[in-house]
Amino acid sequence: MENRKIYNRILIFRKEKGLSRVELAKRIGVNFQTIGYLEREEYNPSLDLAFRIAEVFELPVDMIFSISPFPSISQLLKERSMEEGV
Amino acid sequence: MKERTSMAPVRWGVILTLLSLAGVVVLFELGIRSQWTPVLMIAEIGLLVILLIAFILSFMRTGLWEFSHKPLKALDEREMEMTSRSLRAAYAIFTVFILGLLVVFAVLNISISIVLAVSLILFAHLLPGVVIAYSENGLHF
Repeated sequence: MENRKIYNRILIFRKEKGLSRVELAKRIGVNFQTIGYLEREEYNPSLDLAFRIAEVFELPVDMIFSISPFPSISQLLKERSMEEGV
Repeated sequence: MKERTSMAPVRWGVILTLLSLAGVVVLFELGIRSQWTPVLMIAEIGLLVILLIAFILSFMRTGLWEFSHKPLKALDEREMEMTSRSLRAAYAIFTVFILGLLVVFAVLNISISIVLAVSLILFAHLLPGVVIAYSENGLHF
């Protein structure tokens, strides 16, 4: 079975939390190299790993992982300003 | 923490390791079948040194050896998946290679020397690392 690509926002949330790859890796119990693979979306995490990442970021899993590409921050801001009628 | 390293030098190191390993066997077979000359002995020792250096630089220092020799508990899920894929491919390659070699040796009525046997054991242990070197786009060392 061909695996679907899973998109994620790990890099954005990691930077927001001020964590290094090594620190995040320690907190979720993987090798720091694996964080790089996850951030580049070269590896799809298991459900257990996805939940561990969500626990560190204190966010629901579906805010971090998606089967469709996430809109960029600029696009989100543009949509939000249009909604607010700015 | 180093950034992603290009696989090209690692792959060349892997090729050099395998070629020097094959060279050690070929020269040893030549030596025992004809006669050990000083040139042949120096070439054999030289190849052993090259093999050792290439092995240390391309397998030990890059972590290729570790991936297939670490206990499972020490690997995370991505490393386990990568190691599992490499061991599977290495098993298939080694089986075909060794059976082909046995057929050739049986047809030509050649006996297997101790050096060849040891080299094949080393080759079997190197293969998973070789597969990783050629299947991964990059490694963080």
